[in-house]
Amino acid sequence: MTAHAIPADLHPVEPAYRNVLRVQAAMFWVPLFAIAVVVDRLLLAEMPFGGLLPVAIGLIGLSGLTVAPDRIYRRLGYAMDGRLLRTVRGWLFHTDSVVPFIRVQHIDVTRGPVDKMFGTASLVVHTAGTHNSVVVLPGLSPDRAAEIRDAIRGEIRADAE
Amino acid sequence: MSEAVILPLNEDLLGPPERLHPLYLLTGLGKSVKGAWGLLAGGAVLGAQGRWALLIGIGVAVAVATVIGLLVKWLKLEYRVGRDEIRIDSGFLSRTSRVIPFDRVTDVDLEQGPLHRLFGLARVRLETGASAGSKEEDGVLDTISLDRAQALRELIRAHRRGEAAAPVTEAVAEAPALYAMDNRRVATAGLFNFSLAVIAGLFGVSQTFGDVLGFDPFERSFWIGILSRAEPLRNLVISHQIVAILAGTVLLILLGVATGLIRTALREYGFRLDRTESGLRRRRGLMTLTDVTIPAKRVQAAILANGPIRNRFGWWVLKLQSLAMDGKKGDHVIAPLAQEEEAAGVLASLDWPVAPSAGSWRRVSRAFVTSYAAIVGPPALLALAVPFMGAAGLSIVAALPLLGVVASIWTLIIPFLIGARWLSWRRTRFAFDSDTLFVETGWWRHRRRILPLRKIQSIDLAESFWGRAFGICTLRLGVAGGGGFADHHVPALSREEAQSLRARLLSQ
Repeated sequence: MTAHAIPADLHPVEPAYRNVLRVQAAMFWVPLFAIAVVVDRLLLAEMPFGGLLPVAIGLIGLSGLTVAPDRIYRRLGYAMDGRLLRTVRGWLFHTDSVVPFIRVQHIDVTRGPVDKMFGTASLVVHTAGTHNSVVVLPGLSPDRAAEIRDAIRGEIRADAE
Repeated sequence: MSEAVILPLNEDLLGPPERLHPLYLLTGLGKSVKGAWGLLAGGAVLGAQGRWALLIGIGVAVAVATVIGLLVKWLKLEYRVGRDEIRIDSGFLSRTSRVIPFDRVTDVDLEQGPLHRLFGLARVRLETGASAGSKEEDGVLDTISLDRAQALRELIRAHRRGEAAAPVTEAVAEAPALYAMDNRRVATAGLFNFSLAVIAGLFGVSQTFGDVLGFDPFERSFWIGILSRAEPLRNLVISHQIVAILAGTVLLILLGVATGLIRTALREYGFRLDRTESGLRRRRGLMTLTDVTIPAKRVQAAILANGPIRNRFGWWVLKLQSLAMDGKKGDHVIAPLAQEEEAAGVLASLDWPVAPSAGSWRRVSRAFVTSYAAIVGPPALLALAVPFMGAAGLSIVAALPLLGVVASIWTLIIPFLIGARWLSWRRTRFAFDSDTLFVETGWWRHRRRILPLRKIQSIDLAESFWGRAFGICTLRLGVAGGGGFADHHVPALSREEAQSLRARLLSQ
């Protein structure tokens, strides 16, 4: 039993992925902030803590737009060798998942509108497992994603036995 | 597939059309009646109001509609058994034509309800991999003769072995069962199956509707009525409310035990597990016989389950996690009550180990308990703090309704929560031996999961901010099949330990 080392040289994803995260955060927080302002003006103006809600939402949203994308990007990495794909992400809820290529059922490369805007793509790897059956690696350049897909495709086995 | 899809017929490859057994009109009735509980309830209301003419009218109409519906179903369902596939054409308004290649059929399950048994019929279910996720069953022939069903099963088996269809030969001398339950074992299993839920439910009903039903075993009047013949006991009940409460408790427990016994006997009577050439075959049932095959290749994990009481007597429930579900009930139970040696025998027939070699079990970190205690513990401090809040200028908080009460109750519960956590820590351990990962978890719901390395699909190392503060993380293993909540993981490992275990799992 020769212990293969798990690939430790984590690659970062494309820096443009930070912009994707910023746009996604903006799409979530801006409408929420607008709602908070409306609710504050209409319902809470007379209350002693009037004005607090939009300020709080605004601050959290602003941090979500400025600080969080950098941190998420910094914590996201992947590594692969000839046998397995490893993805590492997160700090608050850190996960480090490893999928052997021979266990992969099928692979998608997906690109949403925001991905297209910044030239990134997501690699989605499906295994037969009921839990953690989908491993998503976002923020890759489309070429790199296709390259990984082709590398894994050669290893996919027909039968899940 | 809901529209009329008429596949071209190839008479050479497909056999002649066959119909379900005519007695489907009778056996199908049971299901229709089961589906009509609402109507029955409505009928009861009408009956109570004395509107008999209307009731009879509706009843006759429903009966006629049901029979006509069954008749149309029977007329419109046709199946053809070909050389390599079975084709089922069904439906009247929306016609479905389904072809199932024998290569893709993994299990052929037979089920016999009481009516089926009376007339020598069987319900056949063809399982393919597709049914693992969806609720819909793949191929069902509701009522055909038992001989035909067995011939069909033999045909499919023979096809899988790559032979021509062999004539049906009744197993001349059946090999001894891999595992079987005699009546005594069934009764023992029933005793362990007594359900707290049933007891709680009965308690709830007796307290809520007891007055209406005249059934409240916690009231003196209930026992006085029953014991009217037994004078001394009756006097005892009259003089002491506590006796009524005790007697009521005993009665409820007896009912719970009886329910468990009956349910278990109905399901497990005559339990018999055999090794076939390709897997396991399980037969069981008192009223409804089921005959299920589990292909060995598709088994993904073995699970030994017990609880504190079963554990005391060394009993385990042995289940197999497979790609297909056992009906809709999740994992296949292949030994409802077995000692570890018996389970070992069953698993050995699949070349699976039941336990790692001695000395390879390893405990998980104590932080399994402390990280939990650090979450549930602090709210209890609130209860201690309430009397001092007024002094600290926090009288608004202290005046919150029920805060003190809730906090005090919480304080009383905490020792039990932490104690249970500690007990389950004591029974949590893992081992990696002979290409198999063994994980034991839990105390009240104790499970030993046996996961062969080649069935593990992915490995996640998860560490939350809370666990990180205590230096522990969780190793989560993706395994195919099983129910939605079936999750295999090793909790509370130190980071180094988790990483080294993962490296060893991946090193093959």
